[in-house]
Amino acid sequence: MISAHRAHKRRVTRFRTKLVAAMMLVVSAVTAFGLYLAQRNVTAAAQRDLQQNFQAELSSLDKVQELRNAALAERCRALALRPRIHAALEDNALDLLYPSAKDELRDLMEGDEASSEQVTPSLHAKFYRFLDGAGAVLSPPNPKDVGELDPRAEAQLGLKKLPEAQQIGYIRENSDAADEIVDQVVAVPIFSTETGDVISTLVVGFKPIELTGKGAGAGMKNGIWVNGQLHLPLLSKSAEAALSREIAKALPNSASAQNNFTVTVNAAPHLLFYKRLNPDSLFPPAYEICVYPLADSMAQLHRLRWQIGGAGALLLLGGFVASHFVASRLAVPVEKLALDSEENRAQRKRAEAALASTSEKLKRSTRYSADASHQLKSPVTLLRAGLEGLLAREDFKREIYEELSALLHQTHRLSGVIDDLLLLSRMDAGHLELESQPVNLSQIIEEWLDDLGALPDSPDVKIERDFPANLYIAGEKRYTSLIVQNLLENARRYNRPGGLIRVTAHKERGEVVLAITNTGRSIRGDAQEHIFERFHHGSTSSDVSSHGLGLNLARNLTRLHGGDLRLVGSEKDWTEFEARFRIAAQTPDGTCQTI
Amino acid sequence: MRRLAGFNIVVALLPISVQAQASVEGRVGLPKSHSAPVVAKRYEIVTRGGALSTQPPLAVVYLAGSFSKVRSPSTKQIAQKDLAFVPSLLPVQVGTRVEFPNLDDTYHSIFSYSPAKRFDLGRYRPEERPIPSEIFDTPGLVTLRCDIHEHMRGLILVLDTPYFVVTDANGRFRLSGLPSGGYMLKAWIDSKTTREEPVELKNGETLHIDFP
Repeated sequence: MISAHRAHKRRVTRFRTKLVAAMMLVVSAVTAFGLYLAQRNVTAAAQRDLQQNFQAELSSLDKVQELRNAALAERCRALALRPRIHAALEDNALDLLYPSAKDELRDLMEGDEASSEQVTPSLHAKFYRFLDGAGAVLSPPNPKDVGELDPRAEAQLGLKKLPEAQQIGYIRENSDAADEIVDQVVAVPIFSTETGDVISTLVVGFKPIELTGKGAGAGMKNGIWVNGQLHLPLLSKSAEAALSREIAKALPNSASAQNNFTVTVNAAPHLLFYKRLNPDSLFPPAYEICVYPLADSMAQLHRLRWQIGGAGALLLLGGFVASHFVASRLAVPVEKLALDSEENRAQRKRAEAALASTSEKLKRSTRYSADASHQLKSPVTLLRAGLEGLLAREDFKREIYEELSALLHQTHRLSGVIDDLLLLSRMDAGHLELESQPVNLSQIIEEWLDDLGALPDSPDVKIERDFPANLYIAGEKRYTSLIVQNLLENARRYNRPGGLIRVTAHKERGEVVLAITNTGRSIRGDAQEHIFERFHHGSTSSDVSSHGLGLNLARNLTRLHGGDLRLVGSEKDWTEFEARFRIAAQTPDGTCQTI
Repeated sequence: MRRLAGFNIVVALLPISVQAQASVEGRVGLPKSHSAPVVAKRYEIVTRGGALSTQPPLAVVYLAGSFSKVRSPSTKQIAQKDLAFVPSLLPVQVGTRVEFPNLDDTYHSIFSYSPAKRFDLGRYRPEERPIPSEIFDTPGLVTLRCDIHEHMRGLILVLDTPYFVVTDANGRFRLSGLPSGGYMLKAWIDSKTTREEPVELKNGETLHIDFP
């Protein structure tokens, strides 16, 4: 019992372990999934925020640009209306162009710093140049008036042809020096008021509009990519060059005018946005470049990772406790179930053991009967042979012969008892099986009735018979004969002198009913229910030779035939037994019996 | 001075001279005018394909060659009237002074950036005296503009010859009082188109030359 209990404990523990393991698995999976989602979310959100910031910056830039472009267009329209400009351009007096335009464009160059920054910061130009009809830059007679430029920067202002619409470009000033700057230039066509043709182009240079980086947090750096080189003054030269190489790789591969990708700047991850600043321009392509440090979002991600990891751990702990609790709760019925089943098993084992022992006992008893019968048979046979041998001698006195004859009779009786016992034991052991075949019951009865009359101690009884010839039943002739013999011998044995034995047989609903009635002293009421038990004597009279096995044997055999034997009644001078047999479906010659 | 100039003009344009001199007459094929003929004969300067010409078209026919400057340069006028130069096309001999009287009630500011003559008269009112003037001493085409009225255009064709005439609206011209000899007769049609024909002039003869 203790070991069983221990086994239960072990099983329950195992169950709990499994439950906890499963929970841990689930919690781990959920945590990992949460981490993954959060990470993706944070990255996407950071990227989205930065993208929005970039777009906002660019849109503000676009607005300023629009303002500037509109103002410049207006300026150039006005300029084109100036007869002096026309005169200078049309009359080949280009040397007079700049002086003529000087007054017109004076406010452009000399914008009141304070007011211009507030109202139109865009219109404060750094320089301006005119292009001649072929798109080449007209050198100003006095560069100071129109904003000085180094020759290489000035050359960048030229266009292959005069544009029909405003063009935006970016040029690099002092490209060799450390104080390299990028200027935004706007080329505005000047249309002849008479012909509508483009007669010249005014190219105005501005300081590029600075992106503020508001809203993106500190660390946003912006620059301009022009002519295959990056201008990002906030970076060191080496970092700028490295970034420049990365952008150079990315730009030609990208079909879109704007995009973003992650770069490493100064060994820290950054998100780089770029957008073409001058789409469809005659000037070389220029891109606004914004580099946002990802440190913040990385830190946030890191924090979040810890938070989610912690939450996962807490969940795991909670899960562990819960699982422990649940397991113990769940384990109660399981334990009970285990206990119950254990009890059931013990009971079953006990029952099985009892059954086995009973069966063994039965077997032993059956074997004992069989053995006993066999062991008895040989000495009885020897005894009988000895007695018969003695009877065959003629030198004994007469009394001795009578005595010997009586002894011989007893050996016959003994032999009969042993046969019956043997048969019964075989039946008990279940070894007796009928080889069922059609048996002519009528014939068997006739034979036994004949023998009955020939018996030496046959009393004077009258025999009535009422049965059809050739009544076939299903059975084995040896045993059917034994049943009939037993019943008829009883009917004769317990009859009175001058009595009657009546034997009737008929078919009834698929059965053959054999009734044997005899006169004589009836069986006492209290004994009637015991007459089929072994070694029961219905009559105690000593003159009736019976060993008390006959009826028991007859009933067992009848039942083996698929029928039954019963006492119909016994009163006064009348005792009736009835045996029922299954009717044989076919007679041996193949004819069917009517049922 | 003014009298002298007036005399010179008369001499230059006199069809019949007391001397037996040569004459040329004919017709210049003018570009077709798209606008209806103007009764008032107001000619304006237009730019067509980058070339300046009058509208309706007029041509200046002149005899090119080296001439002794026998005639002293005269004084001529281009007035600003009704916000236009009148006449809009004026051929002058090198050294001619041209006055620009303002006949309008507003300011004008006549200037030229032309290589042949750069000048800037500045803003002036009608009553400005003396009448602003310039001497044109380099041959070539001078485009006159007004800094105030950007549509105003005038042309002065400064020629190195005393023999020139403006055709009529149909392109017909007649030049007389010409010296005999071999010359090049030229027809200025617009700022980019000048046709020329060699001529052999003989005293007392009138040559007929048509420019296609």
